Amino acid sequence: MEYLETGKIKNQAPKHKASVSKQTGFPSPATHYMEPSIDLNKELVVHKDATFYVRVSGDGWSEFSILDRDVLIIDKALSPKAGNLVLIVQQGIFKVIHFPVSNRGTSFTVWGSITYIIHCSL
Amino acid sequence: MIAMVDCNSFYASCEQVFRPDLWGKPVVVLSNNDGCIIAANKEAKAMTHIAMFEPMFKIKDQLIKNKVTFFSSNYTLYGEMSQRVMNILETFSPSIEVYSIDEAFIDLTGIVHTPLKEYATRIKDTVVLHTGVPVGVGIASTKVLAKLANKISKKVEKFNYVCVIDTDEKRIKALKWAQTKDVWGLGKKHQARLKKIGVFTAYEFTQLPLAWVRKEMTVVGERLWRELRGESCIEFRNMPKSKKAIGTSKSFGKKLEDLPRIEEACAYYISEVAEVLRAQKSCATYIQVFVTTNRYSDTDKQYSNSCTITISVPTNNTFILTQQARKALQRIYKPGYRYKKVGVNLTGLIPQEYVQGNLFESPTLYDKRLMNVIDALNHKFGKATVGSALVGTRVAQWELVKKDRSKRYTTQWDELLELKNK
Repeated sequence: MEYLETGKIKNQAPKHKASVSKQTGFPSPATHYMEPSIDLNKELVVHKDATFYVRVSGDGWSEFSILDRDVLIIDKALSPKAGNLVLIVQQGIFKVIHFPVSNRGTSFTVWGSITYIIHCSL
Repeated sequence: MIAMVDCNSFYASCEQVFRPDLWGKPVVVLSNNDGCIIAANKEAKAMTHIAMFEPMFKIKDQLIKNKVTFFSSNYTLYGEMSQRVMNILETFSPSIEVYSIDEAFIDLTGIVHTPLKEYATRIKDTVVLHTGVPVGVGIASTKVLAKLANKISKKVEKFNYVCVIDTDEKRIKALKWAQTKDVWGLGKKHQARLKKIGVFTAYEFTQLPLAWVRKEMTVVGERLWRELRGESCIEFRNMPKSKKAIGTSKSFGKKLEDLPRIEEACAYYISEVAEVLRAQKSCATYIQVFVTTNRYSDTDKQYSNSCTITISVPTNNTFILTQQARKALQRIYKPGYRYKKVGVNLTGLIPQEYVQGNLFESPTLYDKRLMNVIDALNHKFGKATVGSALVGTRVAQWELVKKDRSKRYTTQWDELLELKNK
């Protein structure tokens, strides 16, 4: 079934296919070993439509190894397990916590699970 | 059975996803150029003492005083959030019809493994969990009934955004609840007509004799009548229909007097509509250009005019369209006026493979490859990266005002949501 392609976010087609070598001399010994190159979108993003990127400003979350200017990959579709890093909202404010074993006594809304922390070391 | 899924106050909800400080608070979104309110969330709608449909300059102070947060429209964000919602809906059925930016019909034929109410609840919960955008779900045997079920799911609190009309008893109850204005596609004129003969509810409408409905309300009324009685007659459309005309017109950020700048705006709009034209693989036969001054001004001299040009060989080539539009604009432009708006319309759209040439020009006169490259570049590097030089570089001087636009959180790496901590 086809849907309108306008405005649709398409996955990029993998560029590498196990193709016949175009070299004219000796056939490439790699011919039958070609694979698609690593695609971070595929590796780091499980639920594409539920994934958001956010940038951190300030060093207040260094205890979670989250530093100033880091980018967090947030997956809203995952249901967090005890100990997982989650981005929550408490009284209208974003906070990062380890998801508690039982959340009796505390009231918050989970905004999403933090799946990766991207830190630029340049 | 058919499900109708509709996002709750979609534009405002998109903004609130990224602004938890505004959860539960009144939020409105302004039209292009920040002229008036085009969307308001539940909390804002409850403030009935504010005339939400008045121009912004009249009510701005009131909004601020009542702590209503307002945003310029951020269609980049809404478009992407809409796409995400639709992608998620596609996981619930292979057949969905995206009806507008914030609503879709889902064909549930063959969904037998789960009770409908449970399925609807799952759709609702999944969309809000994955995207943060809340939705209402209505399920019934026809589109018009599904639309009504959706309305009930939102308006009647106990339904909590899920309403299934799967028995005749429930159908009749829903019809008795619904005023004629609640019926999808029943226009104001027909509502007034029905009121005159004492028909106020959807139920009363369905009790009218078919012959009367057909005579007084044409086949459109008959279709509604049948659909409300549970007889499906509005087909399901997986494929969006191609547009018959494509146009755009936007007010300038400030009034423009000189021709060159209006030409630039006109060329810019042409590049926008030509891109849509190519995306749906059509060509335009006619091009209409219009200009207008500010009708609401008491001090300005008033003028408006339009001009339509027939293109000898229908095309979707930006450069030819720009050239023709410029010709049309030069014909209607008169100096000495303060123009508020220029608009372009492309009509007589035909599929590009049916374009006919004439004695002197072949339909393949212009190379398609150039347009393909332009589209590819603009897709990759952002809107209007390359195009006709006539667009110029002074976009900022006439572009509309988007003073309070939120960031494009999902499409721009340097506009990500920023989490401040201390």
